[in-house]
Amino acid sequence: MQTIDITLTVNDHQQIIPVKPNDTLLEVVRDYLDLTGSKEGCGEGVCGSCTVILDGHPVRACLTLALEANGSAVTTVEGLADGDTLTLLQQSFIDHGAVQCGFCTPGMLMSAKALLDEDSSPDRQKIRQALSGNICRCTGYAKIVDAVEHAARPEPGCPDCHTKETGGDHD
Amino acid sequence: MTDYTLIGKRMPRMDSRAKVMGKALYTADLKLPGMLVGKILRSPHAHAKIVGIDTSKALALPGVKAVVTGADTEGVKWGVFAYTRDQQFIQTEKVRYIGDEVAGVAAVDEETALAALDFIHVEYEVLPAVFDPMTAMTTDAEPIHAEFPNNINIHVNIDTGSVDENFKKAYYIREDTFTAPEESYFHGEPYAVAARFDYDDCLEIWMPNGGPHMKSKPLSNAFKIPLHKVKVKKITIGGAFGGRSEICPADYICALLAKKTGRPVKIVFTREENTIGTRQGHAMITTHKTGVDKEGRVLARETTCYMDGGAYSSTGPIATSVPFLSMEQAYRMESVRYNGYRIYTNKPIRGMIRVHGRGFACGLDTQLDMIAQHLGIDPVEMRLRNSRQPGEFTSTGSQVWSCAMDETIKKAAAAANWQDKFGKLPPFHGIGIGTNSVQTGFPMGIRGGSQSFVKFNEDGEATVMSGVVDNGQGNENMLVQIAAEELGLLPEDIHLVSADTETTSSDPGSYSQVSTFVGGQAVKNAAANCRQKLFDVAAKILKADPGKLTAKNRMIYVTDDPKKAVSIKKTVRVALLNFTSVNAEGGYWPRVDMKREWVSNPYGQMCEAFSFGTTIIEVKVDPDTGQVTVLNAVACQDVGKALNPLVLEGQFEGSVAMGGQGGMLTEYHDWQEGRCLNPTMLEYKVPLACDMPEITGIIVESVDPRGPYGAKEAGMSIAMSAAQAYAGAVSNAIGVYMDSFPLTPDKIVAAIREKRQAGK
Ligand code: FES
Ligand code: FES
Repeated sequence: MQTIDITLTVNDHQQIIPVKPNDTLLEVVRDYLDLTGSKEGCGEGVCGSCTVILDGHPVRACLTLALEANGSAVTTVEGLADGDTLTLLQQSFIDHGAVQCGFCTPGMLMSAKALLDEDSSPDRQKIRQALSGNICRCTGYAKIVDAVEHAARPEPGCPDCHTKETGGDHD
Repeated sequence: MTDYTLIGKRMPRMDSRAKVMGKALYTADLKLPGMLVGKILRSPHAHAKIVGIDTSKALALPGVKAVVTGADTEGVKWGVFAYTRDQQFIQTEKVRYIGDEVAGVAAVDEETALAALDFIHVEYEVLPAVFDPMTAMTTDAEPIHAEFPNNINIHVNIDTGSVDENFKKAYYIREDTFTAPEESYFHGEPYAVAARFDYDDCLEIWMPNGGPHMKSKPLSNAFKIPLHKVKVKKITIGGAFGGRSEICPADYICALLAKKTGRPVKIVFTREENTIGTRQGHAMITTHKTGVDKEGRVLARETTCYMDGGAYSSTGPIATSVPFLSMEQAYRMESVRYNGYRIYTNKPIRGMIRVHGRGFACGLDTQLDMIAQHLGIDPVEMRLRNSRQPGEFTSTGSQVWSCAMDETIKKAAAAANWQDKFGKLPPFHGIGIGTNSVQTGFPMGIRGGSQSFVKFNEDGEATVMSGVVDNGQGNENMLVQIAAEELGLLPEDIHLVSADTETTSSDPGSYSQVSTFVGGQAVKNAAANCRQKLFDVAAKILKADPGKLTAKNRMIYVTDDPKKAVSIKKTVRVALLNFTSVNAEGGYWPRVDMKREWVSNPYGQMCEAFSFGTTIIEVKVDPDTGQVTVLNAVACQDVGKALNPLVLEGQFEGSVAMGGQGGMLTEYHDWQEGRCLNPTMLEYKVPLACDMPEITGIIVESVDPRGPYGAKEAGMSIAMSAAQAYAGAVSNAIGVYMDSFPLTPDKIVAAIREKRQAGK
């Protein structure tokens, strides 16, 4: 199949990538760019494990054609940390035990980041709603909700909040 | 109480960092040089003879590197037990379910591999098929397996005697039948396998697994090659829930394609294949007959269960027994008779699942509630009157050394305000309780024990080798925590080598909730042996008694005089200079009755420890739509000892989600002539974040005398009891005892309507 060059800024690096017309954004990041942090859990837009941030919005990379993303900026889970320094959100996931098998984690982090970018102190209900496009089979979501809630606002009574900063920068 | 440095502490998992950075590699993420894409051709028929297969057109397709069929195999049949070897990895004579493996293809890319499947011509002679166990037992049609007349795969019979006499003594007897269809795991990660043969003709293979040593043996059998030539490699695993313990035909097919092409091959399942081509839970029809005295104490019970076993045996004898065992552990009964039948049908393979026997367990608890109501006894009190007590023997002869069942019931009831709520809630509000018990370790024969090896490196850090696998539940962190505690090191000083058959010794895997009890204990023993060697060296340096030293925080010091100390690093270096070994091994073999056998002798010590759990759920039901909203969830388990409460809570919460919220409200499979109608995530409803209630987890510690630091199984009793509590709560809310699970809105609305009509 013929390829078409698209321009994509992936985790702050602009690159030109030859793609086939039927390639999805998920295939591009996983197969062409070797960014395998984004997962394929269903391939049909249900599980959310492929969630990436496209021009500021969380999207399902398995349902997004690479061609649609031409000229856009994409953030994947690999683009969250600054070298070895994790974001508050990533650290919060670790500290609150929000990661079990970890397969849903990259997608969860991206959905949670998109939420926190838009509302820096969402309540639990809003967090639950924002994460309801991401299926986790291991955790029952409780610790994931804790992690997102406390990433933005460490809670004094929480045994798992180790973050000293209050509020702060979650990307 | 012993003062531990790490044990019992809320320790964030050391494997989380790679996962939040997207660096953890799962099987589908692997890319090996020259790797091909593998695909499997599956049967479109539920039951058919394979008359002939023509692969020539597929092979002629450019980019296709190999096609394998049953003709390429050694014809070895797989089964967990010698008497259940009934499954070929690629079928040669006939297919037994829609999805059975018929051929495999390896090609340069996915499109070519998929196209090649269409070019394989298989000629079938369709046979009559059966889709439910009751028909399967009585049909005149050709049995699914010639060796099993009436399609009865397994019959487990347990009889403790005096059942009929005790029924005669009973004050009140009830007999009720409960049903539940199949459910699926829906792991985060769809199944995948990658394989290659190395320069030495060794098979290297990666896949999600519940125990690498459980995978290597059947592969060595299937290829007729020595065990050391099968290297099951470590890889991050996206969930198991009981569904990844045994060999999957795709493992073999992938390896066979790799052998034939001389190149690495990777097969990644679609979500649909993960549902159909791995395993599922069993559908069950269970009849409980229970006789009690005036106080509600169970005198006699007779349970008969028919399980839809699907096309092959899988873990058949275990699956047929476990629902009964969980109940005989949880509840005392003076006498009991159990007949469990696992029946072959032309449906996909079934195995163990997190809430194995939800209809069985929920039925038993529902019936207890019915009896309690008849006798005017509160359901909590009803359970306390029948609950297992420490020191007792189960009906089939397992001694229960540690048990805090009563404490879990009382604590859960207090936290849920049971007293103020039961019988006092507004219409269509309800509260329900479930109690259950889960095995910590089955008799697993030759692979029942675990061995570990610990070596010190010259920088004072340690490498720990263990066959234990982490499916996502936190086993790796558990091993690191134990090793660091025993060696007096920090968690970051431990390098773990695990879940790899080449470098680690035999281990039962995460099978039967045994990782901490057996695998953790093996690491504990190995590390303690290693520490002793270190102490012998340190004692000379410190001029002290090696029996009176303590290791903590990378230091060894004299227990009574902590100022006399030497670093572990220095001790190791001194040992190396003196040619003294500071490596050690250790193991653990569970003391179970090795003569106990699932079918031929189901009596004796089943496992060393049992966990006990209670869940209480409060719900509100919309009588017009049948929608259930969970208002409160309390989960309380006797875990022996909480090694890491942070991880434990996560197990409780996940268990409520899968066992209760999903298992009792939304999760089930729908069928049409053996075809699963809802194999994907779109149609099969697993709980979402917005569905889940806030959960109160309560940890009870009975400190098991044999478990490592007193620990036993963690979380499974919650998964089971949560299902029972959800069932009880919904029945309580609508005033109808439900007997068909899960409790979907259609069933709830129908039950309410029926009740209203009967009331008119
Ligand atoms: S893989 Fe994209 S939503 Fe599941
Ligand atoms: S942690 Fe396993 S699916 Fe979420």
